[in-house]
Amino acid sequence: MFGALDISVSGMVAQRTRLTAISANIANRSSYEADGLPYRARQVMLAPGDPAATTASGRALGVHVSEIEVSQAGFGYNWSPDDPKAIKSGPYAGYVAQSNVDPFVEQMNAMQATRAYEANVTAAEATKAMVTQALRLLA
Amino acid sequence: MIGDLSNSGSMPVLADLMRFTARRQTVIAHNIANLDTPGFLQTDASPEKFQEALREAVEKRRNATGGERGELPAFETDEVRRLADGSIRLMPGTPSGNILYHDRNNRDLERLMQDLSENGLMYRVSADLMRRQTDLLRSAIAQRP
Repeated sequence: MFGALDISVSGMVAQRTRLTAISANIANRSSYEADGLPYRARQVMLAPGDPAATTASGRALGVHVSEIEVSQAGFGYNWSPDDPKAIKSGPYAGYVAQSNVDPFVEQMNAMQATRAYEANVTAAEATKAMVTQALRLLA
Repeated sequence: MIGDLSNSGSMPVLADLMRFTARRQTVIAHNIANLDTPGFLQTDASPEKFQEALREAVEKRRNATGGERGELPAFETDEVRRLADGSIRLMPGTPSGNILYHDRNNRDLERLMQDLSENGLMYRVSADLMRRQTDLLRSAIAQRP
């Protein structure tokens, strides 16, 4: 039964990590990386199983963040030849490259992650109610 | 002798039902945790099949002991295995119910939430009935209602 709690907690952790990445993406929409290129969106990849769980059933089941990928989607380009970040030569001369974070996609992902988090909380509440029922057998 | 106290009547059946629902709870929690894991297929162990197997086990016990006393025999279906010591192991299958989404996940949140609350209710019912039985035993021991 505590395995079920482990599983729900792994789900909450994974969804919270997703939300963290989404907030980072939105916050860095106009940032530039150290190499001078615009910020690239970070995407959290989930996979079944939870290596960090304390119980055997928790390790076999549950969910974990397998990796955080850097989105390779193309940059946006804005015509702004006077900007110090404007591209000097090539087909995009005079344009400024912009981050590939899509605010609409991030909003949708944030909603999805929040609902999935809530679903995990509901499951954890149900498990807790069951544990309480079992404990009442003794009283 | 003392074992007959917990082995008579519906007690072993209720205990099995509680074990099964507790195990199934982990499966449902697993499905909910993987709501948007790409490529994940929902798993489940059907409670109907389990109850069918449980009914057969009760039937077998009745034929063996002639009454409603004694351990339940071990049984096994393709999703559930009940060992002789009473422990229950699930081998959840992947029922192909819902459509696959673009991330190759066949999530069905509403059905999942229904399963969750039904499973919790089932556990609650068996725990309540079990408590009724132990209360009965307790009042018999205390020799007062």
